[in-house]
Amino acid sequence: MKWGMVIDLAKCMRCHGCVAACRIEHFLPFSIAWVKLIAYEVEDKNVVDVTTYAVRCNQCKEAPCIDVCPTEATHRRDDGIVDINSDLCIGCRYCVIACPYQNRTFLSKDKLVNYFPNHAKTRFEKMREKKYPHQIGTTEKCNFCAERIDEGLPKGLKPGQDRAATPACVNTCQARALTFGDLDDPNSEVSKLIVERKATQLHADYGTDPSVYYVDGKIGGKSNIAPEDARTGSHIKEFSSVEKRAKEIFSQSK
Amino acid sequence: MGEQKVITTTCKSCHGGCGVRVTVEDDAIVHIEGNPDTLTRGTMCSKGLSSIQHIDNPYRLKYPIKQVGKKGEGKWERISWDEALDTIEEKIKTAQKEFGPESLAVSQGTGRGYNRYIHRFARSAGTANVISPGYVCHSPRLGLYGLVTGYGRLYCDYHGWGGEFPKTQIMWAKQLEISSADSEMCNWFIQSLDYCKNLIIIDPRATAYSTRASLWLQPRPGSDCALAMGMMNVIFNEELWDKEFVDDWTFGFDELKERCAPFTPEKTEEITWVPKEKIIEAARMFAIDTPGCIQVGSSLERQANCGHTLRAITNLMGLCGNIEAPGSMVSWVLPDTGLIEDFFLELPITDEMRSKIIGIDKYKMGAARTCNPDTMVKAILSGDAPIKVWLSVGGQQIVHMANTNEVVAAIEKVDFMVHVDLFMGPMAEAADIVLPAAHWLELNDVYDMHPRFMIEAHNKVIDPPGEAQSDAWIFNEIGKRIAPEHWFDSEEEMLDYQVRKGMDGKMKWKDFSERLVSGCWGDDQVYYKYKTDYWRKGGGFPTPTGKFEFYSKHLESLGYDPLPVFREPGESPYRTPELYKEYPLVTSSGCRYPFYFLAQYRNIPWLRSFMEYPITQINPVDAEKYGIEDGDWIWIESPRGRIRQRARVYPGMKEGVIMTTGNWFYPEEPAKGYHGVYISNPNVLTSNNHLDPMYGSPDLTCFLTKVYKCKPEELTEDVFNTDEFGFVSAAGSDVEIRKR
Ligand code: SF4
Ligand code: SF4
Ligand code: SF4
Repeated sequence: MKWGMVIDLAKCMRCHGCVAACRIEHFLPFSIAWVKLIAYEVEDKNVVDVTTYAVRCNQCKEAPCIDVCPTEATHRRDDGIVDINSDLCIGCRYCVIACPYQNRTFLSKDKLVNYFPNHAKTRFEKMREKKYPHQIGTTEKCNFCAERIDEGLPKGLKPGQDRAATPACVNTCQARALTFGDLDDPNSEVSKLIVERKATQLHADYGTDPSVYYVDGKIGGKSNIAPEDARTGSHIKEFSSVEKRAKEIFSQSK
Repeated sequence: MGEQKVITTTCKSCHGGCGVRVTVEDDAIVHIEGNPDTLTRGTMCSKGLSSIQHIDNPYRLKYPIKQVGKKGEGKWERISWDEALDTIEEKIKTAQKEFGPESLAVSQGTGRGYNRYIHRFARSAGTANVISPGYVCHSPRLGLYGLVTGYGRLYCDYHGWGGEFPKTQIMWAKQLEISSADSEMCNWFIQSLDYCKNLIIIDPRATAYSTRASLWLQPRPGSDCALAMGMMNVIFNEELWDKEFVDDWTFGFDELKERCAPFTPEKTEEITWVPKEKIIEAARMFAIDTPGCIQVGSSLERQANCGHTLRAITNLMGLCGNIEAPGSMVSWVLPDTGLIEDFFLELPITDEMRSKIIGIDKYKMGAARTCNPDTMVKAILSGDAPIKVWLSVGGQQIVHMANTNEVVAAIEKVDFMVHVDLFMGPMAEAADIVLPAAHWLELNDVYDMHPRFMIEAHNKVIDPPGEAQSDAWIFNEIGKRIAPEHWFDSEEEMLDYQVRKGMDGKMKWKDFSERLVSGCWGDDQVYYKYKTDYWRKGGGFPTPTGKFEFYSKHLESLGYDPLPVFREPGESPYRTPELYKEYPLVTSSGCRYPFYFLAQYRNIPWLRSFMEYPITQINPVDAEKYGIEDGDWIWIESPRGRIRQRARVYPGMKEGVIMTTGNWFYPEEPAKGYHGVYISNPNVLTSNNHLDPMYGSPDLTCFLTKVYKCKPEELTEDVFNTDEFGFVSAAGSDVEIRKR
């Protein structure tokens, strides 16, 4: 099992939902963001290219951040996730420099300011200590929501398919631009997307072999015939017990 | 671990509608995410998620307060709810007695879902002088759809319930993908793109999808009516219209054809600045690849020709038969709970009330149920308006109305004003009493989806801070004091009343709250209603002629042109060429940003971090011409004044046009100056002199300005020098801009 993500550049509409979902999921201090959006806006030969690259740690298969870490705080898990053991992290910041994607942040004391700097902590911030403490003086980055995966797998949940075991950003994306799954499984959604839509990696030339892939394409050119489940609305009802009940109410009253 | 509970509710951080699941532990919200068991499939945007910073936001209003200094001075004193309500009652009753019921004005913003409460309250108090932002957002389209088809609520069929998705989609001055749910949910639209053949984007600037769309048209703001007529001209000339629909179900075809005849592709290119090839291609796509739909943006309604623009666009839909077919524009069957607006519609506006509506003599479409806000401003200034008491909820008229200077002067003249809100802001500072409102996570209410095929429940997750109360409670309390016969013993009773039609008349709020949604979808929805007895026995549209009316006799009887007419904006390169020489940039007062909702959320740190200061998008060619570089602070000036925003040199912006960021005030700025409303808000620049003849809408998205660089010593206000909110130091960490 090797977890990976595919990001559809033709769908992402720069809404920042993933950034916010990640901040909530990990109780992030105000000035920390594990997901960032890079706005690419260029005109070339009269064609205006407006693209948003949502970037997070690529969970590189050849990760320079692991190589430089003197304490093995940064390490690779069996499932490919590059994780940080903050108890081992000595704050040397070699990894911050080594990551060619600038995906690591050093949590210095001044970054742990309150959401409202001249005011008391909000209840949510107070809960951080209990639910997801951040250690000043260590380095942080996206961990593919490893906690969700670790909690979900023993329950038989499938990351990428079952929400409880899927990264928060993937769940919240209104555009469904993010797909998560097992790169080792040729039948997983991610593997299929990578092959069928000729995925690329950010700066493949760095030789880091990222586990985050990007696909692109045009909008349109599709058939407009609705599949049967869309017609009956069963594609809604399937995952929605609430709607089933609502429909019952509606049909009762007819 | 403390006790954990998961509560499901509905988001209302924009127009709302996303299903939400909140985890509460030891009285603190520890998690928010989308609820997968809803039509939004568990997705949420940054606004809704950042609600976590609404709760416990130290700037929240917690108690009723009264102004003890002069308006706009920011001197406040805490009072009890009793004192607040007693004072409001006394002021309203005195004004009613001395000056008549029309001396009470009630205003709203677009947010929290208080529509039906404010309308019911106004009507129960005998006034129809309601000030609503509807005339610049959504009302014109509903009114015009209503005129043409007889039924006001036409929505894009993104659902496939009828077997087909829209084959051709037009996003017209609209970014539905980021403005959810201003009309419909972005999630539905984006999913429907998986079944779309052509996506046409009509927008003067590149949007998230324009690079990858089938076609992108960049019209000059304010020329959209001409563009629609030009597209119809192509359809007439190439005989591409839907013959069957037009022959059997429409009225006024020949007249419309004649009206569109002058709008040849060449002529239309001249007016709209869109190359004629693109106009022809768009027309062909929309007419040939049916079914199709058009998503209209409120930018079109912020123009003084909006009535005719929307009429032309609606006619374009009908001409191509894109009405009521699966995958086209459909008016949905209501859920069993019925129309939630009945809550105020059941109290009719009497003839007496109607005769006192400010602006009704002129703006017969827009000022029929609400007053014309701009006319009201002028009337207050000239001393002709009857308004003595103004009850304002949520909305920031000072920010969103044209000509800020005049709006502030008028509002300061009102004898007694009450404002209800979550935070202090320009309107609150102008009030005499401010009442603290609850956030959607802190209240129970019925949420009414724009397309009206479903309603959802806002379920209370945690207690509001201090003594803040829901809008429903506040209106019920004031209502009980002014017109007790129309109000309720308790908030819950009022909620019961609103959902009473559900479950065969047995539904109570509690049932609905638990069910979360009541809707009609899938194979329960009905298409082609005009071919059935649904609207009319024997079939037809609910219009006077029973047809889809290209030509409107009703408009004619009101003294308007029965067919669409293109008129230049009040200030434009062609209407005011002299002015254009001095102010050479066609300017819009703003577009949507996904992390703000109109004037809201500059005080939510996570959201403010995405855009700390307002930006003005300008094409690189224009930027060079005016000596402006990316990131510069610039002055934007019109005959009415000047504001400062940050330049964003953007190749996606049409040359000769700039897009400012709208609705901008600085919550961190002091009360004096109404929280910096004059620093960056584009309505300092807009004019309220030239209004749409039908709706009274001003030219907010098409006027003329000039731009020039700002000197560093001109950035003196606090906002440029303080990090009170921590924004200055921490912001900018999330969006990086890469240019080649
Ligand atoms: S949530 Fe989805 S659409 Fe929004 S910015 Fe992130 S990837 Fe893009
Ligand atoms: S993106 Fe950077 S931090 Fe993440 S694995 Fe690669 S090198 Fe390490
Ligand atoms: S789109 Fe609107 S309703 Fe949905 S999460 Fe965002 S703010 Fe809430």
